[in-house]
Amino acid sequence: MEELKLIMDGKRLDGRGFDELRPIKIEVGVLKRADGSCYLEMGRNKVMAAVYGPREVHPKHLADPSKAIVRYRYNMAPFSVEERKRPGPDRRSVEISKVSREALETIIMTEMFPRSAVDIFVEILQADAGSRTACLNAASVALVDAGIPMKGIVTSVAVAKVDGQIVLDPMKEEDNYGEADMPFAFVIRNGKIESIALLQMDGNMTRDEVKQGLELAKKGAMEIYQLQREAIMKKYRTEEEEE
Amino acid sequence: MSEKSEKRVIVMPGDLVSTNPRAAGYGTYVENGKVYARVLGLLDKTDTSVRIIPLNGKYVPSPNDVVIGIVREVAGNGWVVDINCPYQAFLPAQENPECRPGKKANDVLDIGDAIIAKVVSIDPKMKVTLTMKDRVCRPIRFGRIVAINPARVPRVIGKKGSMIKLLKSELGIQIVVGQNGLVWISGDRRKVNIAEEAIYIIESEAHTEGLTDRITEFVKRRKEELEKEGTRNG
Amino acid sequence: MPEDILVDIRRDYVLSKLRDGERIDGRKLDEFRKIEIKTNVIEKAEGSALVKLGDTQVMVGIKMQPGEPYPDTPDRGVIITNAELVPLASPTFEPGPPDEGSIELARVVDRGIRESKAINLEKLCIEEGEKVWIIFIDIHALDDDGNLMDASALAAISALLTTTVPAEKFELGDDYPLPVRNLPVSVTSLLVGERILVDPTRDEMSVGNNFVTMITDQDDNFVGMQKSGTFLLSEEKFYELMDVSIEKARQIREILKDI
Repeated sequence: MEELKLIMDGKRLDGRGFDELRPIKIEVGVLKRADGSCYLEMGRNKVMAAVYGPREVHPKHLADPSKAIVRYRYNMAPFSVEERKRPGPDRRSVEISKVSREALETIIMTEMFPRSAVDIFVEILQADAGSRTACLNAASVALVDAGIPMKGIVTSVAVAKVDGQIVLDPMKEEDNYGEADMPFAFVIRNGKIESIALLQMDGNMTRDEVKQGLELAKKGAMEIYQLQREAIMKKYRTEEEEE
Repeated sequence: MSEKSEKRVIVMPGDLVSTNPRAAGYGTYVENGKVYARVLGLLDKTDTSVRIIPLNGKYVPSPNDVVIGIVREVAGNGWVVDINCPYQAFLPAQENPECRPGKKANDVLDIGDAIIAKVVSIDPKMKVTLTMKDRVCRPIRFGRIVAINPARVPRVIGKKGSMIKLLKSELGIQIVVGQNGLVWISGDRRKVNIAEEAIYIIESEAHTEGLTDRITEFVKRRKEELEKEGTRNG
Repeated sequence: MPEDILVDIRRDYVLSKLRDGERIDGRKLDEFRKIEIKTNVIEKAEGSALVKLGDTQVMVGIKMQPGEPYPDTPDRGVIITNAELVPLASPTFEPGPPDEGSIELARVVDRGIRESKAINLEKLCIEEGEKVWIIFIDIHALDDDGNLMDASALAAISALLTTTVPAEKFELGDDYPLPVRNLPVSVTSLLVGERILVDPTRDEMSVGNNFVTMITDQDDNFVGMQKSGTFLLSEEKFYELMDVSIEKARQIREILKDI
């Protein structure tokens, strides 16, 4: 089998530099029924996030007397991938839902709403590499839009090792043929990265490469955070201009 | 944009809004002596206080709130009432002045009936208890209920009730605003229409300035239109 | 999962000991419990191991059979990892389909084996594009006294090390040992405030489900990581965890080399 060259002349297959994100588009408040919503594109990912709540918990026995429960559903539409995906949760999406929920739970002030539920639903309409990071970014914006009390904002991005090089926000080919993939989510407060809310990694990286990856991810996350912020502010600015 | 005139600053969760923990007010939280916003909203900051007026969010009951609800269940000792919040409320039979010995609970209030009630308490288990023993409380048997975003209720009421007073006096109608985002309007059908439209404008432009002036103008214009129509038809 | 009342009772004890930098079982913060590995415990399996990590017990059985390769890897064997947290192992486990806890467990263990390329999958091709060996790694928790993750990972690689490819049974030539060429080792730590507790017990886990698992290979490279639980991790702790994980894995790998 011929080796696929993922990096040529210091550029990636899609022409990006090592530290560049794919194009990102964010729209806030796109669903009428949801309490908060966000449509987000990151590369060829197209995802839609909706937040409902705090609301009554069904079934009732799941309610927690001391805080709101948070539920997160990462769900791929059957048409989102090349070959039709069987509808419903598979093992991968169960795992992604778990770690994503945990990342968001760290900032949601659940103790303010005992015995209620905050439901976060994210639908992947078109999947590309890094769909879990795109979903988290959308969910985070939808939570803000829903007026859910939170300590900060969650922003997520992955890094990968490709032909021995650490790159930001891997695309499909880099994800498939690269040597490692490491998704992160950070808590950003007052415009600064404070801590790690999600951490996963698979592949093969040295300690130094992991360190380099973290630094690159932080840089990317700050750029995404600015876009999240702009998108939220834009919604309310537009309303003002309509006067 | 109006940001220049009065500086309406919109903040997001986690934004630092003050370094004086004693100033921390609604919509904020304190960590390590710093005050941060916890919700998306308008920053309202003075020398002594800082609070965030939320742009969105669910209603959470608090004692003495006037709310509008719908009866969902009739029990032997009272009614389960949906008050448009994460928790169901209960109106005990003895808290309803219309309850008399020998009268069955569902003859007084039945499933689907709307009421104006007051929150008595919310216990640690988030059990909400209502009462109808107050002048403002009543079963709703006529008029119209409109729903708005609960976070925008303060704006619909206005400073010291100014916005509601304006609508009431200009249109000669009755309005009760539930803190839970449900509003009861009663009176001449066409004037109720104008009030409903006005309330939607207030809701969607809650975070902008000069709103009172714009609403006054709107109501006057619509009233004139109505009168013109009236004379034409008559 | 139903709450185990004993968990609440132990929490205060764990925390008060920790205030003095001590663990309730007297271990150092970065010390693993006693590890016992028994291999070939199930004759009907192609490979098996029973791992005791302190009082935690996990059995892993390996079954192999010929099957179809994945379309994108027509010349390679297939690994399928599954975990069952059976009710026998803990009062908090319930019967039923795998929950997110057991799915996460299986997927993280799988990641370590897959990404370290521990099994030479090219050698498990029978007929390119048609038939390859499928390796089923089944993790069966028997007693959950904490850190099922590392116990399962250890049991999985131990079982693989003793696995024989059952070629004769399927009339595909002579049996041969499964080609294992790397030794991934998983190190899970519990974060309690500023402290890192390696290989937490059930009692220690009562203070919060704040875990980081880091899997390294025999070159000390990272092949898998997973933060699990609702907590925030500082950069500083992240780097500390990497160092402790490399060091602990080296020690455990020495045990594996004796298998």
